[in-house]
Amino acid sequence: MAKAEIRKPKPKSNPLKAADITVIDYKDVALLRKFISDRGKIRARRVTGVSVQEQRKIAQAIKNAREVALLPYSGAGRG
Amino acid sequence: MRPYELMVIFDPEVEDRAVEPSLQKFLNVITTDGGTVDKVDIWGRRRLAYEIKKKAEGIYAVVNFTSTPATAQELDRQLGINETVLRTKIIRPEDQKVSAE
Repeated sequence: MAKAEIRKPKPKSNPLKAADITVIDYKDVALLRKFISDRGKIRARRVTGVSVQEQRKIAQAIKNAREVALLPYSGAGRG
Repeated sequence: MRPYELMVIFDPEVEDRAVEPSLQKFLNVITTDGGTVDKVDIWGRRRLAYEIKKKAEGIYAVVNFTSTPATAQELDRQLGINETVLRTKIIRPEDQKVSAE
């Protein structure tokens, strides 16, 4: 009789806490690049491991950065 | 009065020397309406992530200022009319803060 195994997912490290960031600036392209895929899509929260509130600010910052052509809407025109 | 942050992208055909004076001319509207210009930062030429009006690069400038909402709106309108301005964006910096527990 095999006991039902309870999986405990490993808690992800929060990349913002690690870098000690309190303001998510749309001009900080280097930071925002960590939260987009190669194609330029915003990474999901289950991938990034940030809180709901932080994810929302990141998504908004990425969208602002796209409007001023700091980040692409789709990756390198191939998307 | 509110703090604002303005980002302007100028046409790359504008000469580098001419950017600052022409930006200052636009910013006059803030001071005449009783606001203050806190910081002007001209980044210079930068590649655009995608083409705007068939241009592959632009001259970026960031301005922090404090004014009434009506003044900020008027500034954005005047910049939009000018043909040497590729794009503008006004944001409120306090919206960017992440609440730290």
